[in-house]
Amino acid sequence: MPGWHDAIKDLYESGELQVVGIIQEQHPDRCRLFMQWKQMGWPILVDSLNLLEVSAVPITVAIDEYGIVREKGLRLDKAEEFRTGFMQAKFEAPAPDDAAAAPAQWPAAVKPADPADPSAWADFADLIVRSNDLDRIDEAIQAYQQALKSQAGNGWLEFRLGVALRKRYDSDGRQEGDFQAAVDHWKAALDIDPNQYIWRRRIQQYGPRLDKPYPFYDWVPQARQEIAARGETPAGLIIEPGGAEFAEPAKVLATMEAPAERPDPGGRIYRDEGEFIALEKVVVPNSIKPGEASRIHVNFRPREEIKAHWNNEVDGLEVWLNEGEGCQLDGSYRSLPNPPEVVSLEERKAEFEIHCAESAAPGPRSLDGYALYYVCEDVRGTCLYRRQDFQVIVEVR
Amino acid sequence: MRRLLFAMGALLLAACGSTVDVTAPADIAVEVGKPFPNLILPALEDGRPSSILQFRGKKTLLHVFASW
Repeated sequence: MPGWHDAIKDLYESGELQVVGIIQEQHPDRCRLFMQWKQMGWPILVDSLNLLEVSAVPITVAIDEYGIVREKGLRLDKAEEFRTGFMQAKFEAPAPDDAAAAPAQWPAAVKPADPADPSAWADFADLIVRSNDLDRIDEAIQAYQQALKSQAGNGWLEFRLGVALRKRYDSDGRQEGDFQAAVDHWKAALDIDPNQYIWRRRIQQYGPRLDKPYPFYDWVPQARQEIAARGETPAGLIIEPGGAEFAEPAKVLATMEAPAERPDPGGRIYRDEGEFIALEKVVVPNSIKPGEASRIHVNFRPREEIKAHWNNEVDGLEVWLNEGEGCQLDGSYRSLPNPPEVVSLEERKAEFEIHCAESAAPGPRSLDGYALYYVCEDVRGTCLYRRQDFQVIVEVR
Repeated sequence: MRRLLFAMGALLLAACGSTVDVTAPADIAVEVGKPFPNLILPALEDGRPSSILQFRGKKTLLHVFASW
């Protein structure tokens, strides 16, 4: 986009041309930071559900003053032709369209009466998601599921259900398993149409380095730094990008160093069965062929109900994961440093990558893992050192 | 542009071994010569309902993109 921005800046600044964006992102607020960084002030609309059925981005479209599409798939190296062609052309006014002339507003989201009308259920769900009505996100998820009952194999429904699930995962209404379910539905969509690049990217965003085309949000720290250096406050992000979203692509599994001896080898530390820290595992994707890789996300969240919080005056969180047969991890050990505050409530995330050899036998790989951490809770006023055991399943097809 | 080229490559790779059209370029469900769909989407700025058609009255260059 910055290339186009420079190429037509004079037309934009003179008012001859307006520039508008539509973004295809799960987390649109990140684009707000991007626009601020690049000092591009044009209006942006958000199409997280890909209702425009875009197969890949970027794609540039020329629209005349009457709202008629005149060209699509414009190329930056043809910017001069855009100036002499589209910009000079005189277009005829079409018949007036009253519906299009009305101000844009959200229609009321009314649950369909007919349980067997998949389009109505999908439209109902789409409306809730695009209007970002998080209080009704459960209804949207159920509506996509309802639509899928009579339209199994519809990749668009699978993808959009994944978007809704990830949206709920990022909301206060998060339910256990939402992130994994989102990834699984994106994967189901991609299995239906492997050429849908937007669907593929949604998985790769959280997926392994071995399957990554480029780092997705590595520009965020630089953007913040440069915006701050200009004396501005960088736009805030609702959800900070995680490790997978910063990670560089890799051609081979890069292994990290591990301590000579794993922590708590005898398993003597008292267990937290999830009373203090909620642990969620997500495998992206959770089913791979021999020769492929997955990224394993292990997320730790202090339990709000007992006012649990991290105790940062001692060592940070440690995580250990054992390898499965025929598959190799990029390291069995992760150590997450504490933030500077004495106590904190943030979600902590450890990520691993697993690569299964071409010779790996089909079947599930059950990886045993555990985490060690210092946690306090306010209800009884105790601070403890605890271990939580977990298991991750990666399916080799 | 680097990413667009990669996208094309990824499409080719993804299609290996299948019978799909591996040369298909990036596309969008709008038709040249027809009105842009009156699709209501939230504005990034404040979430208000918006449509591309509200920008009529002036020639528009529309970028469909992602910040990644």
